[in-house]
Amino acid sequence: MRRMSVFPQHGTALGNLGLTANEIRQETENNTSELVSDLVNLSAGARFEAIRSLHVPFNEKKTIRNRVNSVKLSKTILAADCRQQVSRSFRRFRASLASAMQHLVIWQDTLKEIGGRFGTSVLSYFLFLKWLLQFNLFSLIINFCFITIPQIVHAPNISSITGFRGLELLTGVGYFNKTVLFYGGYNGEVIVSKPAYNMQLAYFFTIAAYLVLCGVSLIYSTSRSFQKNFALETGPVSGGAWRLLCSWDFSVVNEKAIQYNKNNLAIQLKESLSERLQEKNKMSRSDRIKHLSLHLLAWLLSLGLALGSCAGIYFLGTNRELAFSFSHDPSDLGAEASTLLLPVVVSLFNLIVPLLYSLISKIESYSNPRAKIYISIVRTVILKMSILGILCFYWLSFVPTNISCWESFVGQSVYRLLIIDFIFCLLGIFFGEFLRNVIGTMCIQSLGVPEFDIARNVLDLIYGQTLAWIGIYFSPLLPVMQVLKLFIIFYLKKISLSMNCQPPKHTGRAAQIQTVFIALLFFPSFVGALSMVAFTVWSLKPSDQCGPFQGLNTPFHTIFNWTHSLPETHWVRWIFENILRSELFYYLISLIVLVITYFLWQITRGRKELIKTLREQIVNEGKDKAFLLNKLQNLQKERREMASYRPQDFDQTPHFNPNWMNTLPMDM
Amino acid sequence: MGGTSSKLSKDLLSEYQELTFLTKQEILMAHKIFSELQDKENGPYGARVSMEKVLTLPELKSNPFRKRICQVFSTSDLKDGSLSFEDFLDLLSAFSDSATLEIKSHYAFRIFDFDDDGTLDARDLEKLVNSLTGETDDTRLTGEEMKQLIGNILEESDIDKDGTVNLSEFQHVISRSPDFVSSFKIVL
Repeated sequence: MRRMSVFPQHGTALGNLGLTANEIRQETENNTSELVSDLVNLSAGARFEAIRSLHVPFNEKKTIRNRVNSVKLSKTILAADCRQQVSRSFRRFRASLASAMQHLVIWQDTLKEIGGRFGTSVLSYFLFLKWLLQFNLFSLIINFCFITIPQIVHAPNISSITGFRGLELLTGVGYFNKTVLFYGGYNGEVIVSKPAYNMQLAYFFTIAAYLVLCGVSLIYSTSRSFQKNFALETGPVSGGAWRLLCSWDFSVVNEKAIQYNKNNLAIQLKESLSERLQEKNKMSRSDRIKHLSLHLLAWLLSLGLALGSCAGIYFLGTNRELAFSFSHDPSDLGAEASTLLLPVVVSLFNLIVPLLYSLISKIESYSNPRAKIYISIVRTVILKMSILGILCFYWLSFVPTNISCWESFVGQSVYRLLIIDFIFCLLGIFFGEFLRNVIGTMCIQSLGVPEFDIARNVLDLIYGQTLAWIGIYFSPLLPVMQVLKLFIIFYLKKISLSMNCQPPKHTGRAAQIQTVFIALLFFPSFVGALSMVAFTVWSLKPSDQCGPFQGLNTPFHTIFNWTHSLPETHWVRWIFENILRSELFYYLISLIVLVITYFLWQITRGRKELIKTLREQIVNEGKDKAFLLNKLQNLQKERREMASYRPQDFDQTPHFNPNWMNTLPMDM
Repeated sequence: MGGTSSKLSKDLLSEYQELTFLTKQEILMAHKIFSELQDKENGPYGARVSMEKVLTLPELKSNPFRKRICQVFSTSDLKDGSLSFEDFLDLLSAFSDSATLEIKSHYAFRIFDFDDDGTLDARDLEKLVNSLTGETDDTRLTGEEMKQLIGNILEESDIDKDGTVNLSEFQHVISRSPDFVSSFKIVL
């Protein structure tokens, strides 16, 4: 659609060309008629949007709309009028639906308040939390409906060996052992009801469908975020000055916060200026070697710490857990409490090692502060993912062969990890933010109020969500825990934020960091959890005494059994046997995807070339424009001067006298 | 229609909904707030509210661009920055969540154009930077830094090299800052 032109205001664009008031009015009238004729040709929906997006005052929009409507009315017949009525009422319905949905959105006011005081980058943490909450709520609902309710209704077998003691809430064993909270509480019989409900298939497909939907949603969000925030990085100099200026947050209304933002922006501008100056100074060779070796040392230390914590977890924590489950003595509270050692050790490592990382990064020097943030994020992610990796390794290789009903065991482990992580988060809010604020303001003034560290908090959320995704196969009702946890953390963080923290200083590039977090949620976190669940389903033998997949070789065999029970010619069986199980299909798909990727890559390269050429063209046209404007102004000046001299009717237009030197007084 | 407790008729409401980006709740809220502002003036419905009264709103009180915003959205012939209800709705619509990038960048350009000449030249940019940095001496940019900064800005965004940033160049550089849409927001 043609871009609507800028309507001249008093004194802007057209006014500068020196046109008279009449000419301006004529020009405006021409523009309006062209605009109206453009709008008349659009469809109703597009026209509606186009009129709304005109950047003119309200009354002019109204006149334009009325003109367009009168033109349309004179052209169309009654039948089209009916269509317009229908489309208008449809539009109104959509608008009212959207406003009704707004009421369902939770936390709307709270989020607006946070955004108003702390800015959009802190707000992005809370929006991320809300998004994770939606994932878990969805999982909870479908698990509850499709797996838990049939199990409870048709085969209640809650035979608790022990009564309820308080320790279960922390450890998840005992009373909770055979309930529907864990894998062991389900059995895989086919429930005899009107349409026979196969519990095995229900369990398998519910979890598979949820994970697939999660994956699709994450891929969609990642790619959209990437496209919005990263793909347009090309340009002459992405110096960042404009980006800093345009990131001024208009939604902040608190006066102190605005003053704070102004100071921050000044500091950031000065920093970016000095960065640009520094770039011009090349570092000497020995300096560069020194920096590189420091970087290498820091990386070695970080990886060493990560490996050390993995080894510590493996050797310290796992013995106690196994010892308890071997003992089978439900009244041994001491041994049961000692199973909590593993989660506490894990949480301690997760808490302390990132602090050590920030100490290590102080010895290095970075070319820009953004690199520092990214590198610290990468190191923390490596730490957390290697901890989870070692735990998964322990769960998948050692546990199934040694423990009966091992899936419930794994589920209980994950449950304990989540609970202790939650408790440590609460402790972190208390010590890390509240006490630090007290110390910073009262005792050691130089420390100051703590900053709200977005990266650390978001990585904690991602870690918790990874655990939840891993645990979903082993404990279908685990999302209950996660939902409660996220709810409580939201309110506690908000209170702690208002009371204790100040917004972070480096707020530039918030959108890019957002993309990085969403991508991290997809790549190590979701993909890791998915591969672990897939490995369990594909190749591990389920336990014989409990769970819906008893007696099968692998849980995946339920699909085989089901398709084999269908008649030979059934379409599901045909698709399964000949397409999903044949390798040729996957080779073809991979080949097609690779070819399409190659084409799109070539198109991208061509477009970059095009952008470069167009830029040069714009520069040339700018020069042309300046030249023509100059000429136009000179012509108009001459024309006016001629008009004012006309009554006297002789030519006195000033023209350049080549002998000007002779006109100067002699004694100069 | 007189008096300050007048409600919006259904037709007017649907017209406002059709021609702005605001939802029904937002329009009603804006009407309520605008009526309260008018209350103090004791003027008839449909009259303009002076700039000083508008600037008492909490959302605009501390905004560094409050005067420019009022001047840009005002359609008054006296050029005094007074706003009618439709101007007020225009303001909220441009700063709302659902406004398009083009509308936001257009109005941002006009707000930053302090001398109203249709382009952002070095003086406009200097005033812009000064509004956004602190007023105290240690946070203000020195003359040297200001010159360097404006040079960087022009190098980054002045594509046709005429020494000023016009609307298209501004919109181009804005489209590459993804933070802009989410920060150019005022919600009642």
